[in-house]
Formats: sequence, C-alpha cells, structure tokens
Amino acid sequence: MKIFSESHKTVFVVDHCPYMAESCRQHVEFDMLVKNRTQGIIPLAPISKSLWTCSVESSMEYCRIMYDIFPFRKLVNFIVSDSGAHVLNSWTQEDQNLQELMAALAAVGPPNPRADPECCSILHGLVAAVETLCKITEYQHEARTLLMENAERVGNRGRIICITNAKSDSHVRMLEDCVQETIHEHNKLAANSDHLMQIQKCELVLIHTYPVGEDSLVSDRPKKELSPVLTSEVHSVRAGRHLATKLNILVQQHFDLASTTITNIPMKEEQHANTSANYDVELLHHKDAHVDFLKSGDTHLGGSSREGSFKETITLKWCTPRTNNIELHYCTGAYRISPVDVNSRPSSCLTNFLLNGRSVLLEQPRKSGSKVISHMLSSHGGEIFLHVLSSSRSILEDPPSISEGCGGRVTDYRITVVPLASVIVKESLTEEDVLNCQKTIYNLVDMERKNDPLPISTVGTRGKGPKRDEQYRIMWNELETLVRAHINNSEKHQRVLECLMACRSKPPEEEERKKRGRKREDKEDKSEKTVKDYEQEKSWQDSERLKGILERGKEELAEAEIIKDSPDSPEPPNKKPLVEMDDTPPVEKSKGPVSLLSFWSNRINTANSRKHQEFAGRLNSVNNRAELYQHLKEENGMETTENGKASRQ
Amino acid sequence: MPTVVVMDVSLSMTRPVSLEGSEEYQRKHLAAHGLTMLFEHMATNYKLEFTALVVFSSLWELMVPFTRDYNTLQEALSNMDDYDKTCLESALVGVCNIVQQEWGGAIPCQVVLVTDGCLGIGRGSLRHSLATHSQRSENNRFPLPFPFPSKLYIMCMANLEELQSTDSLDCLERLIDLNNGEGQIFTIDGPLCLKNVQSMFGKLIDLAYTPFHAVLKCGHLTADVQVFPRPEPFVVDEEIDPVPKVINTDLEIVGFIDIADISSPPVLSRHLVLPIALNKDGAWGQPGGAAVKCTHSASAARGSPVGIPGADMAPLGKPCCEGDEVGTGITDDNEDENSANQIAGKIPNFCVLLHGSLKVEGMVAIVQLGPEWHGMLYSQADSKKKSNLMMSLFEPGPEPLPWLGKMAQLGPISDAKENPYGEDDNKSPFPLQPKNKRSYAQNVTVWIKPSGLQTDVQKILRNARKLPEKTQTFYKELNRLRKAALAFGFLDLLKGVADMLERECTLLPDTAHPDAAFQLTHAAQQLKLASTGTSEYAGYDHNITPLQTDFSGSSTERM
Repeated sequence: MKIFSESHKTVFVVDHCPYMAESCRQHVEFDMLVKNRTQGIIPLAPISKSLWTCSVESSMEYCRIMYDIFPFRKLVNFIVSDSGAHVLNSWTQEDQNLQELMAALAAVGPPNPRADPECCSILHGLVAAVETLCKITEYQHEARTLLMENAERVGNRGRIICITNAKSDSHVRMLEDCVQETIHEHNKLAANSDHLMQIQKCELVLIHTYPVGEDSLVSDRPKKELSPVLTSEVHSVRAGRHLATKLNILVQQHFDLASTTITNIPMKEEQHANTSANYDVELLHHKDAHVDFLKSGDTHLGGSSREGSFKETITLKWCTPRTNNIELHYCTGAYRISPVDVNSRPSSCLTNFLLNGRSVLLEQPRKSGSKVISHMLSSHGGEIFLHVLSSSRSILEDPPSISEGCGGRVTDYRITVVPLASVIVKESLTEEDVLNCQKTIYNLVDMERKNDPLPISTVGTRGKGPKRDEQYRIMWNELETLVRAHINNSEKHQRVLECLMACRSKPPEEEERKKRGRKREDKEDKSEKTVKDYEQEKSWQDSERLKGILERGKEELAEAEIIKDSPDSPEPPNKKPLVEMDDTPPVEKSKGPVSLLSFWSNRINTANSRKHQEFAGRLNSVNNRAELYQHLKEENGMETTENGKASRQ
Repeated sequence: MPTVVVMDVSLSMTRPVSLEGSEEYQRKHLAAHGLTMLFEHMATNYKLEFTALVVFSSLWELMVPFTRDYNTLQEALSNMDDYDKTCLESALVGVCNIVQQEWGGAIPCQVVLVTDGCLGIGRGSLRHSLATHSQRSENNRFPLPFPFPSKLYIMCMANLEELQSTDSLDCLERLIDLNNGEGQIFTIDGPLCLKNVQSMFGKLIDLAYTPFHAVLKCGHLTADVQVFPRPEPFVVDEEIDPVPKVINTDLEIVGFIDIADISSPPVLSRHLVLPIALNKDGAWGQPGGAAVKCTHSASAARGSPVGIPGADMAPLGKPCCEGDEVGTGITDDNEDENSANQIAGKIPNFCVLLHGSLKVEGMVAIVQLGPEWHGMLYSQADSKKKSNLMMSLFEPGPEPLPWLGKMAQLGPISDAKENPYGEDDNKSPFPLQPKNKRSYAQNVTVWIKPSGLQTDVQKILRNARKLPEKTQTFYKELNRLRKAALAFGFLDLLKGVADMLERECTLLPDTAHPDAAFQLTHAAQQLKLASTGTSEYAGYDHNITPLQTDFSGSSTERM
C-alpha cells in the first residue's frame, strides 16, 4: 500500500465557458402526473440539463462515492475555469465534503452563455490544477515532519480530471502540451521552495463531453506516457447519463473499487404492508473485499455484468438476521461502502436498516446448496462497512483446549465472585445492585442444579465433610440469614430476599431427584455422573418452575459453564475462603471450615472498622478487657508490663 | 501458516553422492534425511502446523494431504518411488490447487520445494517455462506469484558451485522474483553429506519454524506464552515506511473493552496464545508458584475516550486482579510421579484466568504489540466446546478502528468525568460518530437518474396538496431541491417547479384552505427569483420561509 499514490490528490477542472451552458439534449420529465388528477391537464414540458449541469453532477457523484469510501487521505480540489481559474476549495480535510463543494458551486452558478468566448478557456483551470498539485497536503506535511531526514520518501503524485468540450484532437494535444509545460515550470519553482513539492507523477484524464446526437470531434485514446512525469488519456463521452456512467467507471478504476450486489433483501411493499418483495442493492467498496473471489477465480458466483459497466458485480445473498446477538466474528477486512444508487428506495431501506445498528450476514450463492457466509454488513457510528469473514478452513482448528494446558486444571480462579455479600450490607441499593444480587442467586441455583462443588474450604475437616447437597442447604440457610438481617434497610433489600426465597423453595420433584441422585453418586464414577445429571436436567428443566428464572439468567448459565471448563477436574486441595485472611482472628482457622456467615461477618466488621478510629483501649485490650488508668502506675513508679498483659501487681 | 513440502522424485534425485564409508547415498536420501529432521522439529516444537506432502516429476501427486500427523508424513518419505523428469511448473500449479481448495486465497502458506537443481529438459522444464513466461494468457498463467500469500523456500540438494556451473541458480532466483521476492534459496555448504544437509535444514527451521515465545503481562501478572502461528512482520506502507514491523515479545495488556464496542474488527491475522511452563517459579512473577485469587472486575476498567490528546491508556491491569497468596496449588502428598504436564496444569496460570474473565464478561483485552500497534485478546470457542485464548492483530497505526477513535486517547473509566457507560451500564461511548456524515446518512440529492429528480419533485407536489397542514415539510423539500438546483446550475428546474406550483394553485378545490393558495404562490415566486441566478435571491444558504399570513399562526404545522 502507498498512502501517497496518484489517488491521494485529485483535481477536478470543469469547463465553465459559455458553450457549457448548452443543453445536453437529453430530456427529463419532471412533471409526472399522479393518478386521479390527470384529466384535462397537460403535463409541463420536459426540461434538459446543460453540459455544465451534467459535468457538475457527475463529478459530485464521483466525489460522493470517494468520500463515502475514503473519508480520509483521499483529497479533491475543485477548479472551475472560464476567463480565469476559480479554485473552490483547498486540500485541507475540513474542505473535503460534499456540502462545501455544493455551496461553492452554487456561488459560481451556471456558465453565462452571453460571455465573450474569446476570453474563456479551460487552460486557466489546467494551469491552476498543476499549481495546486504542487501544494503540500496536511498528510504530506505530517509524514514529512515525522520522517525527518527521510522526508524525501513522501511522494507527490496526483490526478487531474478535466471535463471540457474540446474542438478537435489537436486541441486536446494542445491542452496536454500545456499541462506538460506547466508541470515542468512549476517543478522548477517547487525545487526552491519549502511549501511546494515537485510533482513526481501526474495522471491527466481528459473528458471531452458533447450534446447527445452530435458527432464527437475528439477521439478516445487510452493512457499514454507523455513524459516520465505525465500520462494522459482521452475519453470522448456524450453528456447526460453517459457522462455520469463514465465517471462512475473512472472512480472505480481510480480507487480500486469493486461492486457487490446484495440480493434477496426482503422489503415491505409501500402499498401492501403485509406483503414483502425481494430487492437487490448494489454497493461499491474497495476491491480487497473480494480478495477471496479474485484469487480463487470463483466463476460460479453468478456475477452479472451491469449495463455499460467495465466489470462485474459479485452477488451475495441477504441472510435475515436472527437476533441482535453480539458475536466476535473472525473478520479479515472491513471496507466502507457506498450505494451506487444512493437515493433509491431499496438502497435507503438497506442503509437505514444498517444505520439503526443491525448487522446482516451475507451468503455466497453456491450451486451445491451448501451455505457459505463470507461477508457481513454492519454500521459503526453512522458508517457502513462490508466485513470480510473468513469462510475457508481454519488453520487453528482443533486447538488444545485452555483447560488442557498450563493452569487448566485449576478451578478456583474466582472469576465469578459472589458480589451479593458485599452489596447487601449497604444501606441503600441501586437497581444494578439488586440485579447483581439476583444474578448471584441464580448463579448459585444453577451451580446447585449442576451439582457443582461449592468453593468452600475443607481444611481441618475430617473425612469427606458434609455431602454436597448438605453443603448447599447450609449455604442457603446462611445466605437467607444474611439477607434477612438487612431487609429493613430498604424495599430493594426486600426484593433480594424475595428472589432468594423464590429460588430456594424447590418443588418436591427436585427433592425426590436429589435423593435419587445421592444414591447414584455412591455407585457411579464422579465424572460420568456430572454428564448424566446434566442431560437429565435438560428434560426436567422444561417443567421446572425455575425455568423463567433460568431463562433470565441465561448469561449466568454461560458463566457457570466457564468455571466448569473441565468438569472432571479435581477439586483443588487446600481451598480457602474468598476473602483475605489477615483480618480474621487466627482462632477461626483452626476451627475447621469457615462458614459463609462467619466470613461475611468478618468482612462487614472489617468494612465497619474502616469507618471509625478504634478506641485506644480496645486496640490494646486482652480478651476485650482494657486496663484503665495505666498512667497511674507509671507515675507511681511501678513497672508496667507488656501492653495488654498487665496485671495487678 | 500451513506448509506444503514439494519433493522432486525425478531420476536425477537418484544420483549417488560420493561419501566416505561403505553405504551409498543418493540425493533423495539426503533430501529425506533433511525432511525427517524438519518433521521431527515440527512434531515437537510446531505441533499445530498443517503440512502436506507433494511429490513430482513430469506429473505430480499429493502423497499426504494437510495433516498434523507427522508420523504419516514420515512414513510417506520412505515410500517414495523414482520417476521420470523434472517438470516444476505443473507441480507448482498443483500446489496452487491444493492450497486453494483447502485454505482459500487469504491464508498464507509456506512452500518448501526440495530439488537437486536439475530443472528438467524440453517442454515443461523450468527453462522452458521461464522463456515463455511473457507470452502467457489468463488461461495458462504461470503459477507464480502464488494466488495466496506465500513464502517459497527452495532446498537444493546441491552446493552453490554445482548450481552456478549451469544457469540453475539463476532460474531458481527468477522463481523467487516471480513470487514477488517472497522466499529464499538454500544450498548445501560444502560437500554433500548428512551433516551439511542437516545444517541447511537447520537454517530453514531457524528462519521459518521457530516458535514465537512471548510474555503476556497485565499489571503485575505475567504468563509465558507461545503465539501460534508466528506473527509475520508487517509493512504498513512500502514507500514511506518500508521497514517491516515485528511484534514485541512483551505483550502488555493495556485495557479491556466490551465485545459489542469492538464489534468484529478487521484483523491482519489471528493466533493462539498458549501458556507454556518455562519455569515453575516465574509463572506468576512471584516466587514459589503462589496461587493468585482474583476478583475479576474487567468491567470497571473498560477503555473510554477521554479526549485528552496524548494521554496514554493507563495500564489497566491492576484493577483486574488482586494478588493474594493462598496455598501453592500442589499438596504435599502429591506423588512425584505426576507428569510435568499434570503439574503445569495445576499451577495457576494467568492465561487461564484472563481467558475465563474475558469469556464471562463478554469482553476483549487490548494488547500493545509495538509502538502504535495493538491487538486484542479474547476467548474463542471452536465447535467442539473447546475454548481458547486467541490474539488478533490490528493493522499498525494510531487509529486502527475508526469506531474506537485514536488508541492513545482511550483510558480507564475512572479518568472520565462521568462514567461514559452510564451508572446503569446502559450506554456506551462507542462507536464514535464521524465528523462528516456519509452520503447515505445525510439525504444527499442525486439527480443522475430521472427517477431521482422525479421522486424529489413528487415529494414537493404531495406536500403542496396537503397545505397548510404540511407547510413545514413542503418548504423543507422545496429548499432541498432549490439548493441542489443552484449547486448544479440547473436553473431551468426551478422555473419548471415554479410553473408547476402555480398550476397547482389554479387546481386547488373550493374546499381548500385559503392559506394553501397564498403559500403556493409565494413559493412559486421565490423559486422564480432564485432561477434568475442573481445573487440576492440565489444564495445557497438562503432558505425560502413560509409566508406569514393571517391564517398561518394557527394553521402552521408544528414540528
């Protein structure tokens, strides 16, 4: 890729001489009579655009497509030529948009047919174009500054698109010679200047346009090198839509664009809201979005040649989006698009749909019937991109799972940590807090359902400790106690309790199942059980009254799965409770498993203790007893013993 | 990067190599020896590489399709027969087909061509292919450059002197040139013997098959990782910045962002990030392999645009994990028999934590790959419920994703005055809106097709017939048409529409609101004035406003 290729700078030079005011002789009916009102009214006579109007609207369309697809680093300078050159904008990025150009063109207005043709010439514009190509752009300046001593690497190339009405082939040659000479002169000037750059390469695209029905006095000529710096090509084009088509082809060539037609887009009919018909929309974008087709020479894509176009469009089928699910696709490229027919109803339906934040997957039509999703249309902040999705076999297929590698057997990373305990003790809860608490509860329900081990410590317990469902029973009890202790704080606290109670009260079938499960547990291998249980659960789930809750907690379901990355992984030994232990009294540790309640209480105590300064007495106390009037002893000259251990002597 | 080994099995490969000692070696034995070494290296250090084996003479055959089973490849090496003459072009065409069928045109492949430098004779010989290169049509295009990103490594079972004695070396160099310079020629240094073949293949391994090791860092948490496949150097702009960029071996996580916000970004390549156990102690940057418990709060550390130019995205790793030494992860009574793998599995690893956290939170981690170069780490599940930590590389540059803005301006939420995600996490600062709207988002006027113009005129007419209820929309559409007509110098249209409005005025039914006639006449008059082109009335920014009538106060449509 080269930033500073010819397409970095484009100069439009549009002829504004009197003859451009001539009609293009292609009529436009603008007074289309609406039904029911046609009786006795003669429609107004059709009007026709001038050569000038055709030139301006075609070049604006060129710019529209270019700005849509390359909003940055591709710059246009617009020059209008009559008795002098009128430069309508500059290379600065602020000047690079359609509105600016339209406003400037309106200020120029159409050519004056009564002006003296002798004073007017396209040459003024061409000279100004060369001059403007020597001017440095912000991007060139920035790159030169950045490269310092390598500043000469920054190229200065450009393209002049000149739309005029030439008199003959020799007239065209005269124009080319003029550009050639001007470049020569200006390069000399630029060599001695800090603000100007010499032109390394200039592509001159001369478009001779003439009214429909007339014979062209100028012949087409493919690109030809006139000098090492200048190449030139001549297009002789009838005005009207022919000129627009030509510029559309040129913008595709100049900016390496390609065309994709989205087919089978279902749209509601305006008249019959209940029916929908399928439409096609053609989009332009950088040709790299077709890299897979171009290289593999896929011929069965059903590409159809557009009328008058120089290359084919690739057809991709719309796949009706299922949901708005957020997924990270493997995307090898994203390219801005521009609709070919921006204002048509199908185009604007499609773009509005996308601008509202929906994404659409696109499928390659295949003869075999297999479905290959190769692209995605998606908007990001008001810009629509065509994403290229990888559709070939992955070289990373069947990778070793993360659970098989280093650290994969460790299960207590505490990725889903219970936020309830820290939240419920607050005096007031936000909606988010309540949601978090509910989430946690659902999570626990889910863990229980899957018979996941609770992350509690077994240190100090003899034997196997309580059975798993017994653990859960204890946990639920403690959780209820904790939440109940805070329900008087607010109505939101109450809601957390309600949720907890709803989840706790289990239907009798489940209790029944639990018992059966326990029996089986004794017989079956641990890992086998987990799988079977899970499968059983699936059918059971449907009738289960927790269903609604579980559905709401779908995300949590996924979360719970993550901790179970390796379902058969051993419970890590030596598990310890969630909180840092430094604040807990050491006695607790030897007492066997720390209960949920005790470590939550500890946490609350720790939190509370931060809110006030501890009494000096309590700090120095032994068994919550502090000796008073210690200083008296010192004054009495009595020996003080070690703090806290003082005893009456 | 899949590999295709293309092995020459023409008769010239059976030429004996003079060796001291009793056994007689042929060149193909040397080649097989070198390839064995390559396969062994891959089997141990580059396991995930897919390799295919093609043999060729005047015909070619796919001996082993792409596989990670190096035993199969090894076996195939010992089952090769000898055939006729060398015909390289058809073999290269074969490679094109095989690769494209399997991987398409976008995945880079390495082609290892093993030959003795005898390039065949007559039609189909490389000399013949090169001589006719300029006369090719689209249908019989020379297979180089390969129609996929590629490296062509030519392993010559010959030394430099031998190749230089004919034009072989020149021809092979031409091949590399034709592949846009992507590739390299290896020759045997010194006499043809097993040792020198080994050293030649050793060079290939060093160049193309050494695993890429890096250290993944997030705050004080680290993990040694292998990144597979190896990230390739990337050239941003061959003209102004021709030096290929290489990614850091220190991969520093600089922030976290929601999957919805990063929104399927385009990437240069993607890679598995596999934790490796280099040494047990270093796994967590803490001695003793201490376990780390973490309170994951990636959501508290999301990137947000804080609009401070030059403000670096602060290392956000710290809020993610709070270190807390608890236990060693291995109990005392663990038997020593545990294999190294099992032990490694039980030592907590940051990669696993990161992977799980990203998966649970639905986020990706932004990682710094080099100066102004970023990538993302995320959890990727393949179809078989296996999950992995992956890294994708963005294009180098200050703003790889337009919808995130400049990477340097992202920062922690806490830096923002207000939480850009809202207190209830119900909004997002992303995507950023572009300064200028694109044409499809701004209701541009295009009249290239007559239908475009007709639709715009119809809109005005429709609203004209519903005056005064539609006064505002009527003037809005009228002004839109007026602006475009002025810009395009299409003054005849203004006159035409003015005539049309005047006609509408005469067609108004008796029941029409009196204001309708006033507005139509006024609008027609204004258009006519604009169509004169005199600056007073034809100003682009001038808007035709509704005529203030005695009725308009109550009848004007409220917007």
